[in-house]
Amino acid sequence: MNREEAVKIVMSMLEKNVEGLEMSEDKMGKTLVDLGVDSLDVMLVIMDVGEAAGVAISDDEAEGLDTPEKIVEFILEDE
Amino acid sequence: MLGIQSVASYLPKGRVDNLKQADRFETDREFVEQKIGVATLPRFEETDSVVSTSVAAFNHLCKKVQIDKSEIECVVLCTQNPDNGGLPHNSALLHAALELPEECACFDIGLGCSGYVYGLSVIQSFMTANGMNKGLLFTCDPYSRILDPEDKNTCLLFGDAASVTFVSDTPRYKLATAKFSTKGAGSEALQKTDHGLEMNGRAVFNFALQDVPKQIKRTLASAELTVEDVELFLLHQGSRFMLENTIKRAGIPAEKAPIRLSETGNTVSSSIPILLETELDNSPRRILMSGFGVGLSWATAIYEEVKPN
Repeated sequence: MNREEAVKIVMSMLEKNVEGLEMSEDKMGKTLVDLGVDSLDVMLVIMDVGEAAGVAISDDEAEGLDTPEKIVEFILEDE
Repeated sequence: MLGIQSVASYLPKGRVDNLKQADRFETDREFVEQKIGVATLPRFEETDSVVSTSVAAFNHLCKKVQIDKSEIECVVLCTQNPDNGGLPHNSALLHAALELPEECACFDIGLGCSGYVYGLSVIQSFMTANGMNKGLLFTCDPYSRILDPEDKNTCLLFGDAASVTFVSDTPRYKLATAKFSTKGAGSEALQKTDHGLEMNGRAVFNFALQDVPKQIKRTLASAELTVEDVELFLLHQGSRFMLENTIKRAGIPAEKAPIRLSETGNTVSSSIPILLETELDNSPRRILMSGFGVGLSWATAIYEEVKPN
């Protein structure tokens, strides 16, 4: 999977699960908290991203993924 | 043929305002109302006990259906937080409090949120194997006894309640099929430690959203049914957000799966019978129940209405 595809997955899962959130490249480095993603939404987003990208994200790993960019990097590294 | 004849529940009069708790934990009130989905939590008062609230549930049951106590041959109680540390088994204490006959089997089951689905299957199987006709399945699990008052993950979630289900040879609902699963290796997600109840919210969430829908689909498939064939889905009321997404992932239409925990919170093994008590008034033709939680343990069963001859 290339970066473009990973970004697309992360953005679409964020928009799907967080009401009113519209993603763009300039938001990739913001924290999930700043994007209005609460602690429960985060769990759902991480689960959906993991399933869509075909990667396993452990609880410990998920704790550190606090920006969309970090989630993208995780997907690319895990492949 | 045995099955469910009637159900009754009891919520203790003690109440905890969950929004005030939210303030105490510096948690957004809207998050507590919309995501956790709990406004107030029923709590045992000092005089309440597993036995006393179970008796109160039984008294409610007696208002719904005529019960001849001399005919009760079996009492099963599901709890993980019994009175007196579980010695004697609380079903024996209930037996005494209800003045039931000596020829009556009594035992406790130590299961959490899957306990009602398990318990129903256990009591029906035990009664059938031993030629019994009338029995009572109680659930009562006062998690308030083991909550760490400083742990917002659990304090905002769990409520105390009791229920009783009358299992008889003149049932309204009979068991069609059931599936049971366990992931003991994941049990640390929800456990009692020296500090009290500890919950790994993410692990429980992942379990509920990934494993429970699979079991629901497997149970439907084994009964050669589809979601369309079932009128009512009663899922354990863990938290609103978890439920909404579990329901969605199982492909269940939202209108078929009530979410009703605002005034009860997560009442562990009592959450499904509390829903069932209300829903029986609508006489659904086919009901799927799914309980999941501590263990990790999950169980799904389909019950069908017994048509009168």
